[in-house]
Amino acid sequence: MSTASDAIEPFRIAVPDAALEKLKAKLALATFPEEVDFSNDREYGAPLDDVKRLATAWKDTYDWRRAEAELNETLPQFTTTIGVDGHEDLKIHFVHKKSEREGAIPLLFVHGWPGSFLEVAKILPLLTSGDAKADEPSFHVVAPSLPNFGFSARTSKPGFAIRQYAEVCHKLMLRLGYDKYVTQGGDWGTMITRTMGKHYPEHVLASHINFVMTRPPSPLSSPLLCLQYALGWYTPQEKAGLERTRWYRGPGNGYTQVQMTKPHTLGFSLADSPVGLLAWIYEKLRDWTDEYSWMDDEVLTWVSVYAFSAAGPDASVRIYYEATHQPEDFRAVMGYNGKVPLGLAYFPRDLMVVPSSWGRTLGRVVYEKRHDRGGHFASVETPELLVADLRTMFGKKSGIGAKLPF
Amino acid sequence: MADIRPYTIAVEDERLKDLKTRLSLAKFPDELDEAGWDMGAPLADVKRLAKYWQESYDWKKAERELNQVPQFVTNIQCEGFEPLAIHFIHVRSKVKGAIPLLFIHGWPGHFEEVLKILKPLTEGGDGVKYPAFDVVAPSLPNFGFSEGPKKRGFAMEQYAETMNKLMLKLGYDEYVTQGGDWGCHISRALAFRYPKYCKATHLNMDSADPPVFLKNPILALKHAITPYNSREQHGVTRSNWFDQEGRGYNLEQSTKPQTLGYALADSPVACLAWIYEKLHDWTDAYPWSDDEICTWVSIYWFSTAGPAASVRIYYETAHNVDGRKDKIDREKMRSWSPGVKLGFSHFPMDLAVRPSTWVRTLGNVVFEKEHGSGGHFAAWERPDDIVTDVREMFGKGGGAFGVVRGVTGYTS
Repeated sequence: MSTASDAIEPFRIAVPDAALEKLKAKLALATFPEEVDFSNDREYGAPLDDVKRLATAWKDTYDWRRAEAELNETLPQFTTTIGVDGHEDLKIHFVHKKSEREGAIPLLFVHGWPGSFLEVAKILPLLTSGDAKADEPSFHVVAPSLPNFGFSARTSKPGFAIRQYAEVCHKLMLRLGYDKYVTQGGDWGTMITRTMGKHYPEHVLASHINFVMTRPPSPLSSPLLCLQYALGWYTPQEKAGLERTRWYRGPGNGYTQVQMTKPHTLGFSLADSPVGLLAWIYEKLRDWTDEYSWMDDEVLTWVSVYAFSAAGPDASVRIYYEATHQPEDFRAVMGYNGKVPLGLAYFPRDLMVVPSSWGRTLGRVVYEKRHDRGGHFASVETPELLVADLRTMFGKKSGIGAKLPF
Repeated sequence: MADIRPYTIAVEDERLKDLKTRLSLAKFPDELDEAGWDMGAPLADVKRLAKYWQESYDWKKAERELNQVPQFVTNIQCEGFEPLAIHFIHVRSKVKGAIPLLFIHGWPGHFEEVLKILKPLTEGGDGVKYPAFDVVAPSLPNFGFSEGPKKRGFAMEQYAETMNKLMLKLGYDEYVTQGGDWGCHISRALAFRYPKYCKATHLNMDSADPPVFLKNPILALKHAITPYNSREQHGVTRSNWFDQEGRGYNLEQSTKPQTLGYALADSPVACLAWIYEKLHDWTDAYPWSDDEICTWVSIYWFSTAGPAASVRIYYETAHNVDGRKDKIDREKMRSWSPGVKLGFSHFPMDLAVRPSTWVRTLGNVVFEKEHGSGGHFAAWERPDDIVTDVREMFGKGGGAFGVVRGVTGYTS
């Protein structure tokens, strides 16, 4: 039972000088693996030249204070304390921007790993804009740092799984006065928003996901899908998607296997070695995107949010352990939920890119778009495509907008 | 033989200072309440060890002790690769008919693992009551005080080639091996590539698949109808634990060794935690002392190739980076190796604990022993058992007696 105050406080990121100094001290001592012929072969992992260059920039030229100021200026941020059943009260950091328009739709944007609230930055002005065309909807946007990420608090008890993340996000929306809302998410954001749809169907009026996670078809529950799979009745895009999915579930899954079984062991690396943290995340920023040209500053701001996070960079990977040790929650995410209208976006360089017929086993799909470019971090790589999806899905004429009570 | 030089471990003071500096700047994670060992190495343990390593542990003393064992270095070159300086322990028995035994370590192991069985096999083997052995215990390329290759593609074939060339260079035309972990896999590679030289392998890991009727009809039938004994039943539980909870490191090291390597190279705490978790999880309640652990991890931290290099063996074995034919992959290593005698010592807390019918698909198993306790690092945890088993396998009346031409382990 929470005794936390309901207050919503404005928040400005203000990383202490000591943390910056400690980071630079560690980077000054950075020791890299010895160079061999294949040190820059991406197949083996994050390339040495890249990591060295980024680490040097992080130490010498990257200006966190400037990035911090820019974030504080462009992203209106707040904190509030949310109580979670069976766990402690958590101080939750979030971005919140209301639309310039009347009748806008409250939208909850949920990040994943190794993402953060930063991922809302490019889509925020577009979604909240009053300049959108008449039929196009506008949104009030809420983008939290999940517990254990960004500037939200750390959880300390085991058993903080998807259900609990969903509870935090839902309570946050209620706290902000949004009794009814829609959601957008990828990566863990998919899992969490789908769980919200399952447990709070009167509040979650619709969900758009850009990471379509389904079970492969089973002969018992979906014999036709199995037949389709066996006979290869897929479009070329869907076939390519399946290849990508296979890569992810096999060679691309090392980090998941570590994080879902021994997050504490990995945590020592992430906490003590900024170079280790940088490499661990940077590899994903490259491998999971569709030739997105990451600027060094972008990467370093992204990784700095992890390095300077309130919970510590090691805490973020526990979500994998907790979620996979609660298989019922996991199964719920991939089961059919007919109560919440669903929008699906497929980006070719995402990690799980399943055939459309599989996606439709998730629920009542009212919007679907298979894009021809883009990857896992849709709101960063192709913000205009993601915004177009949302504007169409929630448009009054183009989508379900007329059915929403806003 | 002129280029076999004596080797003395001598880590520079500068590196010791650097280690202590890094440890003094260590930043630790927090930990979940009541997590125990389930989620990985516990914070209290790692903090304690890091502090001990920084403030109290005496590497120079450990170094002196290690240097009491005769060590050497020599260049070995594999076809298509540059020559590598290979570090190894080499002790010859006083007995003329001593059997040459190559001890091969694994990951996260190293040459030190041979130390407890070294004297019993070489000196304790008197050639009358017990067979005598000459023991060679190298640091594998990329491990310990051996160099590592700069070229990609250094896989099981190359590890076997290196080991075989080393033994031949030391004058051993035929020899036997003892190993677990990668020592087991490399022994299998030796059996396939060099059955002319590697006559028998004693293994303490059950890397085998269930018998398939088309390949091993009798074993498959036996497997189908004979109930598992209690060791085999417990083995199912243990092997399942490893598959579900214990293999994360393996998949990461097999796919993105370079990414993982950055933390291992940069943070002694990362290196400590990554290895210490295995020293705990893979052993049978072995009472590791802080000194033992610090020496173990220090060998990785101060290794010639660096700790990041050691994990590449997983990637190279799992991938065929140059499209070579007849790659020795997992499937190959689990197939029948003709002409080489095999022995297995089963320890209950190893990682793959498989039924007898499974290991008998690998070749001519002439020795098999079940133990009631012990784990993955058998030569370290249960040296007496390994010594007894090796003596039994190769001694008079043993399944591999006289397997090496001209030497039986006994004075004639």
